[in-house]
Amino acid sequence: MTEKPKVGVYICHCGINISSTVDVDAVAEFAKKLPNVEVARTYSYMCSDPGQVLIKKDIEEQGLNRIVVASCSPRMHEPTFRKAISEAGVNPYFLEMANIREQCSWVHEEMEEGTAKAEKLVGASVAKVRLLEALETKEVDAEPAALVIGAGIAGIQSALDIADAGFKVYLVEKTPSVGGRMAQLDKTFPTLDCSACILTPKMVDAASHPNIELLSYSEVEEVTGFVGNFDVKVRKKARYVDFNKCTGCGDCAKECRVKDRFPNEFDQGLGKRSAIYLPFPQAVPAKYTIDAENCLFLSKGKCGKNPKCQEVCGAEAIDFEQKDEFVEFKVGAIIVATGFDPFDASRKPEYGYDDYPNVITGMEMERLVSASGPTEGKIKIFNGEEEIEPKEVALIKCVGSRDESVGNEYCSRVCCMYVAKQAHLIRDKLPDANIRIYYMDVRAFGKGFEEFYDRVRRENVRYIRGNPSEIFKRGNKLVVKVEDTLTSRPLEDEVDLVVLGVGLEPRADMREVMDLLRLSQSPDRFFLEAHPKLRPVDTATDGVFLAGCAQGPKDIPDTVAQAKGAAASAMIPLARGKVTINAQVAIVNEATCRGCGFCVNICPYTAIELVTVNRFGNEVEVARVNEALCKGCGSCSAACLSDSIQPKSFRDSQILPQIAALGVMK
Amino acid sequence: MKMDLEQLRKTAAEVVSRDDVRYLVGWKQGTYGYRVAPGFIEDAAGAAELIFSPLCTANLATYLTLAEQLPVPRGEEPDDRKVALMVKGCDSRAVVQLLVEKGIERDDVVVIGCPCPGVIDADLLAEKYPETEDLAEMKWDGEDFLLIHGGEETKIARDELLAEKCRLCRYPNPIISDIMLDQEVETWELAEDEGVQEIEGKDVDERADYWAEQFEKCIRCYSCRNVCPLCYCQDCVLDRLNPTWVNRSVNFSENTAFNIARAFHLAGRCIECGECERVCPANIPLGKLNRKLAREVRDKYGFEAGVDPEAEPFQASFKPDDPEDFIL
Repeated sequence: MTEKPKVGVYICHCGINISSTVDVDAVAEFAKKLPNVEVARTYSYMCSDPGQVLIKKDIEEQGLNRIVVASCSPRMHEPTFRKAISEAGVNPYFLEMANIREQCSWVHEEMEEGTAKAEKLVGASVAKVRLLEALETKEVDAEPAALVIGAGIAGIQSALDIADAGFKVYLVEKTPSVGGRMAQLDKTFPTLDCSACILTPKMVDAASHPNIELLSYSEVEEVTGFVGNFDVKVRKKARYVDFNKCTGCGDCAKECRVKDRFPNEFDQGLGKRSAIYLPFPQAVPAKYTIDAENCLFLSKGKCGKNPKCQEVCGAEAIDFEQKDEFVEFKVGAIIVATGFDPFDASRKPEYGYDDYPNVITGMEMERLVSASGPTEGKIKIFNGEEEIEPKEVALIKCVGSRDESVGNEYCSRVCCMYVAKQAHLIRDKLPDANIRIYYMDVRAFGKGFEEFYDRVRRENVRYIRGNPSEIFKRGNKLVVKVEDTLTSRPLEDEVDLVVLGVGLEPRADMREVMDLLRLSQSPDRFFLEAHPKLRPVDTATDGVFLAGCAQGPKDIPDTVAQAKGAAASAMIPLARGKVTINAQVAIVNEATCRGCGFCVNICPYTAIELVTVNRFGNEVEVARVNEALCKGCGSCSAACLSDSIQPKSFRDSQILPQIAALGVMK
Repeated sequence: MKMDLEQLRKTAAEVVSRDDVRYLVGWKQGTYGYRVAPGFIEDAAGAAELIFSPLCTANLATYLTLAEQLPVPRGEEPDDRKVALMVKGCDSRAVVQLLVEKGIERDDVVVIGCPCPGVIDADLLAEKYPETEDLAEMKWDGEDFLLIHGGEETKIARDELLAEKCRLCRYPNPIISDIMLDQEVETWELAEDEGVQEIEGKDVDERADYWAEQFEKCIRCYSCRNVCPLCYCQDCVLDRLNPTWVNRSVNFSENTAFNIARAFHLAGRCIECGECERVCPANIPLGKLNRKLAREVRDKYGFEAGVDPEAEPFQASFKPDDPEDFIL
């Protein structure tokens, strides 16, 4: 620090947000007396254009070289003021924000207290700003490609948008086919478009797009690097079918020795499939996959004389020798579109899902009513004696949602509408059935939702307000025990079929993705976005974005909207071709570092590694920070026993005088 | 326990003669009385000085990191030969913990394991058998100790002299070694940790009073830090002047800051060799402090320092399923 610090202090009224409990003029008078302070001013909105001009003018006229802005949280306007002082020729890191709003005026009621605290905060910031160092912002190249994890509607939409913009996309899907949950749905609310009809073209587009490399039946194994420069390793699981040779004719599945023996995941187990299978007729890619666990040849080593599939495959595509393969590539941004799990109805044992075959989930209902489903769209149940069309149908909402007993306090946001839609579809197929919906509330908030809800009620579907306590069997009937809370009458409602409107839950395997990409969970256990309002598709990891139900339950329109948002955000570094890296990074004092690697272990961004350096002829290991990865969080500094690593702008020598100025220590 | 000195010296001579070994650190007889000194043996002849007896209380692992890395003159290569080290069970945990913390590399050290039936507490010994200028020896004799002084042999019951750390020892056999000098000894029934229990029996105010009394005595000689095999930062934060975390005046406040900072720096790292307490000239029961923290770490996180060279360092590891019930 060669030049003498000349500090300007700018105190914001924030309308009356600050000035109603802080005497801003008094704070300015106080600040003027602090060492090195040349000027202290107040203004109604410091962040406004005239406010910024005020600062810039002082810098030019009075030669200020350090600026303290006493206003709101640095989360809010630090970038604004950094830019402003930088435009006036002062290093943007010669700025200190004193938060006299969130941490002062908003939490005090007395003017006297608020003013006293604001003075302390300003004094502390002045003490620190004098000791700051000039930092340079650096840029590195960004790889013009993106990784999209999960190829449901969210992942497909994100991938298509990015690919259409001209960037390479790697679309990785865990299961053999793209499509996700939406492919399983019959009709979509409130417009009753056929789900497959609107989704299938997108699935095909995703697979055939010249800019999209689809890696189906694959899983992301490893992600290292940072925004603009992620190194990704993907495991392509063995299908035991040569991807290029398979024509998708299906002869293998027809001839499989264990034909139609295993529950078909796509049909929620209602239909059966062979050990070699295509998940559903419109699957993309239309390539068969052998389920190694159930294939006789792969699990037992023997399948008749020769495996049938191999015998009948005209394309000679069956390859039992196939091994998992690894592909590695580089991307600049990542979109997580891993979706959700439907709530497991077994966790509400009072509803008897495990005990009674005629208690089914909403997802199962989707497959039952679907023309391409296991029953070709016929709603038939077995009542113990014969197969009948159900006459009395009950649908129950909020199963596994808004329910603290299963740990899900949140609303799943789609059940109100999908239950209404299913009631409509049942009415369509069973005109004479008596249909009732048990509900806690009806939340029909989306475009066209309320209208659809009205339409369903007009179709003679009864809404009964009550949360059933139990379902049990009486003869051939199921009895829904419930209190109608509008009339305070207990009911024992005898029905043939119960549909549980199960909610959406975070995926059981989300921990793997969290660890892979260093993501966090919100209290509802879905992935946490960077800011609930202003950065809803970003995450705490730069360059990693969220789309669809991985971030929280949402319907298809919202999912698609978010997927497009995530794609647009992901394209920022790709289009710019450069990423700016944080200048406030940790720095190691190599002379005192003992090379224990605690910081390496503790760094949440894997930004630190041990390197060998020459210390007076001896080779020693010391920590070194990858500035592109470091977020300046300071965890390393807390873990370092010898105080040898500290974040710039937050060094002991900078923050201890700040603390001292608060009067906390000498 | 029949530790064969001839065998020990022969092995040591062989090891120190190796081309890839720079020197060997072992125990040798001191200059008077019951004293045992560290021996830095550079050649086969020197190995004849080595001993291993109940008087070998010191943890020599500290010399692995205490050795100064001198600047290498231009044109010369650094001496990267190994250091051979004799370790008891407890000492070996220090070696393991140093490996965990990358304080040393496994290839840098030849570990000579000495299974240990327990060593004596020098203070207890001096109390009962006053210091003498003549050299005295000690041996293990079955369950007991044998004091050899002035041509006289005195049998002393094990319980009479056994060091506190040995009463609580769960690892009498070295955890890692390249050469094991003897058959493993059998572990013994553990004593209750009365020292820690005494602290745990006190309420917060009583604890504060207890430690206030202890820390008042501290003369800040830093012997505890210097002898500790795991206090090996070349530039200790507690020595720094900017910022001055601990002032250099000897008074209760600064003494407390020093002792507490050191205890926290050792949480999940202390291997309970008891050296800090042994060397403390003010007789501050530092073992109680460090063992209490080690116990907390063991109970709350299921982690024990210095038993697994592959472990992640406790202070730098996080498990999503760490218990958090005691944090808030």
